[in-house]
Amino acid sequence: MNWDTALRETGDDQAPDEPFGLGEAIGVLQRLRDVVRSQVIGRDDVIELVIIALIADGHVLLEDFPGSGKTTLAKALGEAIDDDRGSEHFIAPFRRIQFTPDLLPSDVTGVPVFDSASNAFHFRHGPIFAHVVLADEINRTSPKVQAAMLEAMGEKQVTVDNVTYPLDELFFVIATQNPLDMVGTYPLPVPQLDRFLFKISMEHIDRQAELEVLDTWRSRRDQGAGGTVLKRDEILASRAAIDRKVAIADIVKSTLVDISRNLRTDERVLQGNSTRSLVLLLPALQAAAALRGRDFVSAGDIELLLPRVLGHRLELAPGAADLKRILHDNMREPMERLAASTLA
Amino acid sequence: MQAMAETRSPEHLLPALARALVISGSYYLLSLSLTVGSGSLAAVAGCVAACVWTARQDHAQPLGGLRMPVILLAATLLALAGTVLGSLIASSGLAAALLGPVAAFHLAEGVKWLCFSFTLTGAVRMLALRSSAGGVIEVLLVATGFVIILSAHRNGMINRPFFLGDFALSRGLDPATVLLATGCAAVLLLAGLLLVEENRRRLPYHFALLGLLCLSLVGYVRSFGLPTPQMTDDLGLTGNSAQRRENPFHDGENSIENKQAPVAVVVFRDDYEPAGGAYYFRESAYSQWNGHMLDFASHPEMDRDLIPAPGAPARETAASEGRKPVSTTIGTLVPHRSPFGLVAPVAMENAPNPNNLRFKRTWDAQSLAPDFDLNELFGLAAGNPRWPEEVREEYLRLPDDPRYSELAREITGGLQSRYAADPFAQAWAVKTYLDRNGIYSLANEHAYADDPAASFLFGDLTGYCMHFAFASTYLLRSLGIPARVGIGYSVPAANRGGGSSLLIQAIHGHAWPEIYFEGYGWVIVDPAPQRTLVDMTTDPQNELQQLLGDMLRGEEAFAEFLQQQTGFAINWQWLGYALPALLAALVLAGYAVKLYRLWIPGLAGFGPRHRLSYRAALDQLAAVGIRRRFGESREDFARRAGGAAPALETLTMWHLAQALGGRGGSPDDSDWSGMRRRLGAEIRRNTSIGKRALAALHPFSWLYSR
Repeated sequence: MNWDTALRETGDDQAPDEPFGLGEAIGVLQRLRDVVRSQVIGRDDVIELVIIALIADGHVLLEDFPGSGKTTLAKALGEAIDDDRGSEHFIAPFRRIQFTPDLLPSDVTGVPVFDSASNAFHFRHGPIFAHVVLADEINRTSPKVQAAMLEAMGEKQVTVDNVTYPLDELFFVIATQNPLDMVGTYPLPVPQLDRFLFKISMEHIDRQAELEVLDTWRSRRDQGAGGTVLKRDEILASRAAIDRKVAIADIVKSTLVDISRNLRTDERVLQGNSTRSLVLLLPALQAAAALRGRDFVSAGDIELLLPRVLGHRLELAPGAADLKRILHDNMREPMERLAASTLA
Repeated sequence: MQAMAETRSPEHLLPALARALVISGSYYLLSLSLTVGSGSLAAVAGCVAACVWTARQDHAQPLGGLRMPVILLAATLLALAGTVLGSLIASSGLAAALLGPVAAFHLAEGVKWLCFSFTLTGAVRMLALRSSAGGVIEVLLVATGFVIILSAHRNGMINRPFFLGDFALSRGLDPATVLLATGCAAVLLLAGLLLVEENRRRLPYHFALLGLLCLSLVGYVRSFGLPTPQMTDDLGLTGNSAQRRENPFHDGENSIENKQAPVAVVVFRDDYEPAGGAYYFRESAYSQWNGHMLDFASHPEMDRDLIPAPGAPARETAASEGRKPVSTTIGTLVPHRSPFGLVAPVAMENAPNPNNLRFKRTWDAQSLAPDFDLNELFGLAAGNPRWPEEVREEYLRLPDDPRYSELAREITGGLQSRYAADPFAQAWAVKTYLDRNGIYSLANEHAYADDPAASFLFGDLTGYCMHFAFASTYLLRSLGIPARVGIGYSVPAANRGGGSSLLIQAIHGHAWPEIYFEGYGWVIVDPAPQRTLVDMTTDPQNELQQLLGDMLRGEEAFAEFLQQQTGFAINWQWLGYALPALLAALVLAGYAVKLYRLWIPGLAGFGPRHRLSYRAALDQLAAVGIRRRFGESREDFARRAGGAAPALETLTMWHLAQALGGRGGSPDDSDWSGMRRRLGAEIRRNTSIGKRALAALHPFSWLYSR
């Protein structure tokens, strides 16, 4: 018996009146993953996390070295999404903003321009009006720009000259920052980091993957992007379907709460994670479960996502550095309770 | 309670409480012999508080910011502060005035022991949490607590705590073994708790070695008994050899320790209350001058009233004037040179020993106890007219030292003329002189003088019973009164406490002057110095006194007590059958549970299929040694076990989907059994036959599946 097909079938059976079942949603996620994978080699884990964040309506902060495939990843993701609502919509599939110290907020959001033909001001949309925005080296720009960017991320809208322009519902930011070259930067404070669902530290890809990149870079360049494989509405529909259909058992929620409570009382942690972080984590857990073809959230999803969600939200006590160890210590008992509960 | 409530979960509370129990138990035992009840209570409280306090933070180290030397220094200072505060409370008049002296003393002891136990436990607990050697120190501390009761149980006589000692005694067990076993159990439990604490540097075999040591100690005591130090007292009453006595004056060698050790128990068969406030038990007497000092009589006509051994015929009809016949039964707890009896013993018969483990020797003694008014003695002539002249002379010999008669004349010079020549009045004057001027002390310098009695009497008048007895005997003899030194035991009448048994303790060893009065026999005129440098009071140990008395009496009371206990008595033979049967039943029960868990999923209607089938699959894997680790998720375990049993991954997926609320694809019973069969086949393929055989035989393999 094939689990995936079973899911897909039952997904249709259970809700015949809904056009978009969990089976289709899983199909969408897997197609999206496959197309990005074909463009970005050796980054399967990061691709999965980025797709999860996209479905969970969050944003991602990548900590990585230059030339490690961030742009490729973001571009592949953006170009895989087709907006079929016609040209009157000004939303680009993908935009990249290189943050520099002299950048101005209007460079990001857009600016009203006087049009002599119509004798009126027209708002010229900035690069932020896109489905996927790559905010490169976000810590290099002034706090003013960072604030504009973060408002857009939080509210899904930009305000220029007291006029508010809504962003698309599918607005997804992949921000990057260089973990080493910190001179002349404006590091994001913890409350601003809180706007990002995940902070992902990438590592260099392994030897085999690097060789493969060298072997195939010409063909991939010539071929261009993998082409649009998905419609914007499909993604929004999968988001809704996953939110509805993927079950989160009570024991999973209590496990999350127990872990946070443990962390808050740990002496190595100055400030524990907020309740909001747990709320944001739930759709991500659902997306992760769906991406793995499951219709329920399980321990593996928690183990995958919790370090990425909590890593940039915990303030460690001076001298405590080993986040992995701290998380492991505090997760062990709740996770054991979760595992034991299934037999009880 | 606040602290307990903050302990995170029962998993942490339980070891913390068990540890507190063990450590406070050792404190309790340790403090029993050193302090009063309030001190013991405070010691236990301090210890429990420290245990709970250190257990409160379960993964953060308590006082994590402080270095160990700082903590140790602080603990020392706090303990010192407690001691000083305790002494202040005890010595200052304020607390005594507010609470009364007894309450103030209890308060002082409580404060002292509370600080002591809290700081020591806290410091050791901290050490144990922080270093691997600290755990050993903790175990050693507890072991010491239990070992000290062994040494404090005073040569096998006092088995404190009584509830344990009596429990063992009444069943004919050696209390030492029971106490040792208790101690070992405590040490092992503590070691186990230390192992449970997550500290990777503690290896199980360290503690296994400790357990082995403990067991061999128990075994040693069981087969060879405890090394019992040779008991002797300062009067030479006890001891195995019947050799000639040594110098009875020990002076500087006297020590107060071990004074409370019980040496004998006396059961009174007749009602008797001594007029002088003390029971005297005479063992022997120094009466004959050997040219150097008084010694045991060698003259056949002297001391004919003394009975050399139980059963020996009385050589003299005892004087019975003003005396009351009292029969007693005496049991010695340590070897004695010769038997003794309530003054004045007239006959002794060996009595059956009701408990060989306890009593070295038992005998019935008939005594004619003094029941006369001392006033009756005025006007009586001293000495026995039936004595030959040479015997009378022997009873009057004293060192060739004119100072004795000078002092005696001086003492008796103040008597009214009608009493001036009265022997009893003279004897009373001598006693009064020594009462007023003598100082009782165990540490003095007379022992090796030519005549210790003279050195005492004409020196600082500081000595103990032997000095007083010899000095007054010489003084009396110089006045022409036949006198001798009686030796034995003198026990305060209050110690009997209304019961019919009396415990004799080492400190009661005594010597006293005796004068012979016509018709009344040897009469004790015992000086009691008003000034004393030694605290001679003892704990009468009423429970022990009564228990030993009951045992010695061997009568209904004790038989009843035993009868009462037979309900709980262990029948060893029965145990011999029951234990293996119990084990077999346990193993059978294990197999039953094992089979039940494996077969139940095949039967319908016994509960959710996804649980029962998955549990059975886990049982199968656990039996061959594939087990989920603590904290490992089921998926991770399935992936890890996937090499040996790939079917587990599917089973896990199905199980989790059902357990965690998935709605898609519910496999039916045939899916489950098919996958279980596949899992079985995979296990057979991937594990050795030996391993599978062991797995099948193990009755409790299901305990490992989780």
